[in-house]
Amino acid sequence: MIRVLVNRLLGMAVVLFLVCAFTYVIFFVLSPDPAVQICGKNCTPEAIDQIRANLGLDQPFWTQFWTFLGGLFAGRTYGTGANAIECVAPCLGYSFQSSQPVTDMILQRLPVSVTVAVGAAVLWLLAGVSAGLVSAVREGRFADRFIAGLTLTGMSVPNYVLALSLQFLLVVTLGWLPFPQAVAFGDDPGQWFANFLMPWIVLSIGAAAVYTRLTRANVIETLQENYVRTARAKGLSPGLVWRRHALRPALTPIVTIFGMDFAGLLGGALITETVFGLNGVGKLAADSITKNDQPVIMGVTLLAAFLVVVGNMVVDLLYTAIDPRVRVGSSA
Amino acid sequence: MATRTTRAAVAVAAAALLLTACTNGGSDEAAGGSSTDTPAVGGTVHMLQNADFSYLDPARGFDGGVNAFYRLVYRGLTMQAAGDAEDPNAIVPDMAESLGTASEDGLTWTYTLKDGLKFDNGDPITSAEVAFGISRAWDPEIGIGSPWLKNTVEAPEDYLGPYQSGEHPGIETPDEGTLVFHLKTPFPEFDNVLAQPNAVPFPVGSGAGDEFINDIVASGPYTLDTYTPGSLIKLVRNEHWDAETDEVRKAYPDAWEFEIGLDGATIDERLMAGQGSDVNAISGRIQAATLARVQTPELQDRLVTSPAYCTTYMGMNTTKAPFDQVEVRQAMNWAIDRTSLQTASGGNQLADPATTIIPEAVSGHKDFDLYPSDDYSGDPEKALELLAEVGLEDGFSFTLDIRSQPIMQAQAESIQQSLAAVNVDVKLNVIDTSTYYETIGTPSQQSDAAITGWCPDWASSASTMVPPLVDGRLITDKGNTNLAQIDDEAVNARIDEIKAMTDIAAANTAWGEFDEEVMALAPMAPLLWEKGVFLPGENIAGYHPSSNMTDLAIIGLRDPSQG
Amino acid sequence: MTFTPTELEVEGAAGGETAGEPAPSSPPASGRRLVRAFLRDRAAVACSAYILLVVLMAVFAPLLVKLSGYGPLEFDQGAVDPNLGGLPLGWGGGIGADHWFGVEPGNGRDIFARIVYGARVSMTIALLATALTSVLGVVFGLVAGYFGGRVDMVISRVMEFLMAFPALIFMIAVLSALPADNRQVLLVVVISFFGWPYLARIVRGQTMSLKQREFVESARASGASSAQIIFKEILPNLSSTIIVMTTLAVPGYVGTEAGLSFLGVGVVPPTPSWGQMIASSVPWYAVDPAYFLFPGAFLFLLVLSFTVLGDRIKKIVESGEGRA
Repeated sequence: MIRVLVNRLLGMAVVLFLVCAFTYVIFFVLSPDPAVQICGKNCTPEAIDQIRANLGLDQPFWTQFWTFLGGLFAGRTYGTGANAIECVAPCLGYSFQSSQPVTDMILQRLPVSVTVAVGAAVLWLLAGVSAGLVSAVREGRFADRFIAGLTLTGMSVPNYVLALSLQFLLVVTLGWLPFPQAVAFGDDPGQWFANFLMPWIVLSIGAAAVYTRLTRANVIETLQENYVRTARAKGLSPGLVWRRHALRPALTPIVTIFGMDFAGLLGGALITETVFGLNGVGKLAADSITKNDQPVIMGVTLLAAFLVVVGNMVVDLLYTAIDPRVRVGSSA
Repeated sequence: MATRTTRAAVAVAAAALLLTACTNGGSDEAAGGSSTDTPAVGGTVHMLQNADFSYLDPARGFDGGVNAFYRLVYRGLTMQAAGDAEDPNAIVPDMAESLGTASEDGLTWTYTLKDGLKFDNGDPITSAEVAFGISRAWDPEIGIGSPWLKNTVEAPEDYLGPYQSGEHPGIETPDEGTLVFHLKTPFPEFDNVLAQPNAVPFPVGSGAGDEFINDIVASGPYTLDTYTPGSLIKLVRNEHWDAETDEVRKAYPDAWEFEIGLDGATIDERLMAGQGSDVNAISGRIQAATLARVQTPELQDRLVTSPAYCTTYMGMNTTKAPFDQVEVRQAMNWAIDRTSLQTASGGNQLADPATTIIPEAVSGHKDFDLYPSDDYSGDPEKALELLAEVGLEDGFSFTLDIRSQPIMQAQAESIQQSLAAVNVDVKLNVIDTSTYYETIGTPSQQSDAAITGWCPDWASSASTMVPPLVDGRLITDKGNTNLAQIDDEAVNARIDEIKAMTDIAAANTAWGEFDEEVMALAPMAPLLWEKGVFLPGENIAGYHPSSNMTDLAIIGLRDPSQG
Repeated sequence: MTFTPTELEVEGAAGGETAGEPAPSSPPASGRRLVRAFLRDRAAVACSAYILLVVLMAVFAPLLVKLSGYGPLEFDQGAVDPNLGGLPLGWGGGIGADHWFGVEPGNGRDIFARIVYGARVSMTIALLATALTSVLGVVFGLVAGYFGGRVDMVISRVMEFLMAFPALIFMIAVLSALPADNRQVLLVVVISFFGWPYLARIVRGQTMSLKQREFVESARASGASSAQIIFKEILPNLSSTIIVMTTLAVPGYVGTEAGLSFLGVGVVPPTPSWGQMIASSVPWYAVDPAYFLFPGAFLFLLVLSFTVLGDRIKKIVESGEGRA
């Protein structure tokens, strides 16, 4: 078990390092010169050189990359002397456009993204698993076919089209929901719920469809397994057979993709947050892209990658714990 | 606010991103009387905006939105008059007893400070603090705001601000209440320079590096309570500000809250709904799509309009063929359908067709149209005639630089359409917002033409409206504002002549005529004056015309107990 | 690349080649039977019809636009109200004999013309991306699966790495930073770059199991080269998998292209694209819902059709396998 853990951690470190390096190379090549942005108008070439030297931008690529990596773990200081800027660990960079450390900008917006992600995840898990179970039980019947149609629709509707349609229908035409804005839970729980409901629905619909199909397929497959038939033949009550022998193995694979999907969401739901104007990490990324604020885009990319990789690992470990069959040699 | 490559960048981006607090510049009748009532003391005014202010440090920030904000927390020697003044463009004394006294040769300007001026920590503001604050403009990393101090006040080449080079040699402080400025060359409008946001006092020695990026040492009626970058700024009263020393700022509300990071659509929805504290809210101009939804009588009553202080224009690069020929440039002016441009930019409520460089609201405007057509919809025949004169009746193609921003793209597509009628093929070069001004301000990178905007640095005269766009001596390798790259001796001489005039009124008349002379050469095609339509909350009062920024200092609530 | 019977025939023929193999998971049944099964499936036929319609629309865009009377870039000032910020005049965003689907607010451009031209962008990019992804996925999957060892390790690591990457954010970042010329080519390349591992992973797995099978062993014994084995023996056996996977991938790419255009890093205006049209309709959704409903519906139906089609083909192929 410990060896598996160490192996996974090492593998994760390697992937994260590669993600860092790859991202850094791309942004190093593509990024506009921050010195020019700092220098502003009426800037002389000498002044730009001065700023470049201050920030270490005249250093070779590898030196800069190591400084960046160092900043992640130990923090770093941009510039020297009176105008130095502190960036504490984990320093994901510094946005010269908004004069803020990227880490601060992300942390500030993380609560909204987490709210959106958690709500959506709860919704799609509940909807997906229950619809999948209904489908499996009523296999081939009307309910199954109806749900199958719904899932195909859910998988196909682009979330911004759904967002606009819901907004038009529920907010403008029917007036059932307020125009979404981030309200703190503490201020007014009712408002909070009403405001986040649409983003949750929009974000969860695609995943709910996938989970429905997955649950259905797994449950049907498990019910045909020999040990379930045996359990039935032994005269165990149907409820017990379901809970102990069918449900648990059928739902284990769900955990795997759930971990990955959820981790991916924490890094920001780019389109949903943008359409509803919610100030989460995703919207931060979208706004930074419009402004070409490369340090922020890089920071969000790294965070998202980090979450996906960590999510993967947690899932692997959980999986090992839940399902005895994969306990041996699951290092793939 | 991301870009600050050129002054145009700052001003236009501010207007276009709807974060300017521009309000109704001189149209009490349009306000329906309601939002112009006199406010009561107390309460909190909310400002809803999309982007965060560029910088809290006035030595760095320089755009319509943040200039309006600075007015609440910082004071200068002089300032722009109150938004409800007879001439809101005028310059009046602020911390100084009176406007400056110039020496005979116009090279030395003297100001006397009022008594009883204090920072928010209770320390007195003397000439030393004013001189120190002003000298920060020379710091190479901090002084990226208004360029006017550096352009006018005499300083050695190697002076790099107070942190690196010590006291400013061009600013004398003979005693605690007197400041003497030595200028490079006579500058009759020097009072305007000291009304710029970076000419404000700071405690000696403070504010190095990024100290003032998140903090404020206030000299005005409010000071910073909390600042969460990108989301909230809260201002509370500066107890040490003495209303007796300030004739302009009224400071009715007890507090200000700037809610940042809201979408344009969200802001409009909230203002229309007017729920809770939103009755006490104001914001930038409403979106075109919102216009159709504010047609109810109640909302119509609340609407306030503001004239344009900036001109959106298409600069034509005179160093590139065929724009090196005046006939071609004139033909473009004839051919462009400005009504189509107007509709594409939000219709007649949000834009007017522009025929001159100086907008109506800026002093010095002269009304003329050298390239007239019915309903401003263009005169392709006239254009074809001119093109035929130079053998281009079969057309040509050119590349137009535009910013990747919806309205600007719509404008470019409109130009594409109207020039297609005279066989001219326009290729669009869409440039990312953050690098746009840098690109078009670099002559080696700019294409044949570009759509951009220009606002004056002060509206009391056109001296900062026309010359930066046509002065041949201002063409630089980077940060160039003369996009046409026109370098005409007669034009240059005329600029010097008018700039030397000490009678500002006479100078303004001359600028208006100069505008017409320039337009005969057609280095650019003025396109639009983009106005503002604003929807203040129901309880807002004192929402008055000002210059190209809202005068926040005179706004308040009708009933502070509401909201 | 709509799913036509011709392709099924090819696939069937490939299946026939190895029909003699008695192995339990032996490849599919006769093509003709599959075609018949397909034609009996009403949903699949309806989806193919819609996809065909979009393809025809894309191909004959210039002709259709001549018929409707307005080009995709043509302004119509008369169709919008300058007093209301350029809101289209008339019902449903200006729907009428002049403008079949209404006009865009502000400039009065014809939405029908823009939809028709937008179909070109959506289809071209999605299909090219699918083609490129399939080539990359199949080649790398085959190579990794067949050769195993170090080659497999390197390819597998790269795939893992690419799949761990937050692709959407990264695509946007790269696209926003790169110059705008040739955006369409860039879109295809960027989408494929992050898309191929999903196919490659499955191809690799199947190759690994196929290469243990007798017919491969015997080919090797008779002196066939690795290339011959890969392309003559293994690849034909993978064709059903590849067809199913690719059909299932197309809707993803249609959606990705529209999403990227929606976020402003897709095709450069004034070239119309459905995603871009929906993006510009966002501020107008309350007063002019038709503006987002038309491109939204076309996009949704296209994605839905590809999804359903992929789903059906998968089922038919699977049941065909079962019966064989």
